[in-house]
Amino acid sequence: MAQTVETTQKYLPILRVTVGWMFFSAFVRRTINVPAKLNPHSSAYVGGKLITFLPHAWGPVKGVLLWLLQNPPLLYTFLIMFTALEAIFGLFMMLGFLTRPSGLILAGLAWGIGFGGGWLGSTCVDEWQIASVEGAAAFMFVFTGSRWLSIDQLLYKKYNKGIKIWKFNIPLW
Amino acid sequence: MEKEVALALLGFLIATGMTLWLYQIDFQGLGHLTNWSKTVGYCLEGTKLFTNGTLFLQISRVDGPDTYGGFIVLVQVLYPNGTVVYQWNANQLGHIPKSDIHNEFSLHPAHSTGFALCVPLGQNATVILNMPFNISPGTYIVKVYDANGASAAYGQKWEIEVQAES
Repeated sequence: MAQTVETTQKYLPILRVTVGWMFFSAFVRRTINVPAKLNPHSSAYVGGKLITFLPHAWGPVKGVLLWLLQNPPLLYTFLIMFTALEAIFGLFMMLGFLTRPSGLILAGLAWGIGFGGGWLGSTCVDEWQIASVEGAAAFMFVFTGSRWLSIDQLLYKKYNKGIKIWKFNIPLW
Repeated sequence: MEKEVALALLGFLIATGMTLWLYQIDFQGLGHLTNWSKTVGYCLEGTKLFTNGTLFLQISRVDGPDTYGGFIVLVQVLYPNGTVVYQWNANQLGHIPKSDIHNEFSLHPAHSTGFALCVPLGQNATVILNMPFNISPGTYIVKVYDANGASAAYGQKWEIEVQAES
């Protein structure tokens, strides 16, 4: 069994780096490729995307979207925060650093989008597929961690019980 | 070991549950599957008509692709029997002054393109249109057509019954 786990870990980077890049590249697109996406005065501003989510967004999420759209400074803060989370935890996922908590946050982002814009997609049921697959993939790493081609494997060698908070050992890697 | 099995099953149930729940919420995938992005759709809820001939067309774009507009090329005011009282054609709708279009959201505004009235997905706009004559009080139907020739989508007609108010 121990041998199997060890072997399985070696195949996880196949998925891990791609999952991380899906999120990290969103940050790259908005800051390097097309910086106008984060400019509220540009027609490329990603804030406008949230309007397109509205018609068939899930009830509770629709309320949040409306609230953000009616408060432009708040919308801007939200977009910056969302982009920052994608950048930080996307990068962490690729590096295999704090893989478990990163997986949890990325799964939250993916599934969260699924409740808002998940109904979009004129070719296939596109956004739902993105949200579900990325969500499940990121969530899987909460349980597997990463023990190969990762920073976590080094941390694990040194602190194999994780971080001790009060009397609990929290396995962050 | 027992604990590990429980944890693995929990993770499996959460991820699979999210996938199917989203499928149902986004597309009614477990019932009558509907992809709302395939073709444009509008809603005219809130439209008002006045006896002085002014129409407050309340139009929201509720279906269709997110990256491309919906293009309204004909707005009709009809008697309940279907005869036309007055209608605005593509050329008129393509040249509505900005001051007569009030958008709920400042981003992605509805606007005249020169060829049609463009309504981006999710936008909800009040468009003020004027008939060159007065109309008598009573019931009328307001109806719109997209450039694709349709006046309905997903079982929803793009028309609404209104009472002319003075």
